Amino acid sequence: MSEEKRIVKSYEEEMQSLNDDLVKMGSLTESQLSDTIQAIVKIDKEAAENIVKNDAQINELRAKIDDQISTVLVKRAPMAIDLRTTISSLKISHDLERIGDLAKSVAKKIEPLPIDLPPELTGSLKRLGELVQKQLNNVLDAYISKSKDKAIEVWRNDEQVDDLTHIAMNEVANFLGKNKKNLELATHLLFVTKNIERAGDHVTNIAESLYYLIEGEYLEGARPKGKEFVKDK
Amino acid sequence: MTNNKVKIKTEKLDVFYGQKQALKNVNLEIFNREVTALIGPSGCGKSTYIRCINRMNDVIETCKISGSIKIDGQEINNKQIDVVRLRERIGMVFQKPNPFPKSIYDNVAYGPQIHGLADHKDKLDQIVQTSLKKSALWEEVKDRLDEPGTSLSGGQQQRLCIARAISVNPEVILMDEPCSALDPIATAKIEELMEELKKTFTIVIVTHSMAQAVRVSQRTGFFHLGNLIEVDTTDKMFKNPNNKMTQDYITGRFG
Repeated sequence: MSEEKRIVKSYEEEMQSLNDDLVKMGSLTESQLSDTIQAIVKIDKEAAENIVKNDAQINELRAKIDDQISTVLVKRAPMAIDLRTTISSLKISHDLERIGDLAKSVAKKIEPLPIDLPPELTGSLKRLGELVQKQLNNVLDAYISKSKDKAIEVWRNDEQVDDLTHIAMNEVANFLGKNKKNLELATHLLFVTKNIERAGDHVTNIAESLYYLIEGEYLEGARPKGKEFVKDK
Repeated sequence: MTNNKVKIKTEKLDVFYGQKQALKNVNLEIFNREVTALIGPSGCGKSTYIRCINRMNDVIETCKISGSIKIDGQEINNKQIDVVRLRERIGMVFQKPNPFPKSIYDNVAYGPQIHGLADHKDKLDQIVQTSLKKSALWEEVKDRLDEPGTSLSGGQQQRLCIARAISVNPEVILMDEPCSALDPIATAKIEELMEELKKTFTIVIVTHSMAQAVRVSQRTGFFHLGNLIEVDTTDKMFKNPNNKMTQDYITGRFG
């Protein structure tokens, strides 16, 4: 980012406020996701209710950011770094909103779960959830410090998310294999696992948008891919 | 970029107005049948640059030019060059529309007449009509060709000046802020016209409107204090310039 200030003070303020709101939205999404992971591990139904309620705040912020971006586009016709910041902010805010939605839908799945899930199930979900949480945390740090290297690191680590997803799904499959009565529960858990993985994909999108913001180029090469889910024999 | 032939090439171009250096070692290539936009704060040298291309600076006594200016590989920065013939090849449109105090018809017919491009009236009529059509003015003026050029609106006058410039069938059209005195609709018409003109002519436009540079040009050069700071495709310049100074200028951090 250029350290020099813009001649038009109100433009400077508009871009600053856009940045502040995006950071705020990021930190809200971060805590929603981490609350969700904790709630699923502890099967905390009360916390789950709060998560569902709190999602509205993220949506409100996204609407506000959309509006700010329309204003900047029409008023300032932003160029170069400002253009890339504006476009990337729009994309990042939408990815954050989606992560919020996924956290909410995971939280909704907690209600029907029994409190005594087998520890290997909660264990694998915990590891996956905590990794995605860490990824989100890192990409937001990368955004704040505008670090290209950190963005690339997050982008690369998506492979690990895929691998842990694979393990978690296997645990669910084993759980179902032991007793066919577990079918309904296993279906819920598969959704939960898949949703956490998709939250991870949105984190990767954010890393890509951030890289474009900083470099003005797209991250090259195919997105890193871990193992696809095939049930282990 | 479909056409990569260099039309105009300047090397080590220095321009002085008396003691003041207006251009410093400018190396720039302008490509054939493209629109090249020159941007930069006032006094950066962009107008001086285009005025070198058709030797308009010759009329300024204190102006000294050194370095090379080539059109299609031919050096034009020397005394042997016939500047009248040069300006037939390289037309110019200015900031304020400046039609001659003559009829619409005569404004366009004047150039072809003095350059001997039409040996009879029919031929001249044809050139006038073609030029006015190419400048997208014909439909608006075809029934009033004998009215004074100055009776037209500002935007129409500017298109008349473009018709006048293209009537002698030039290769290059230089435009020095051609829209800065026009309203948004007249500006849009000129920009639309440039899209069409670049199929036939090489265009160099000096503009203070960066949005206009983005809309009309394929390449953009950024000047600052007589230096050409950066030149690249317009897309690259406005999305991701290499030079920090370019970025600071186009994002409104100085100027």
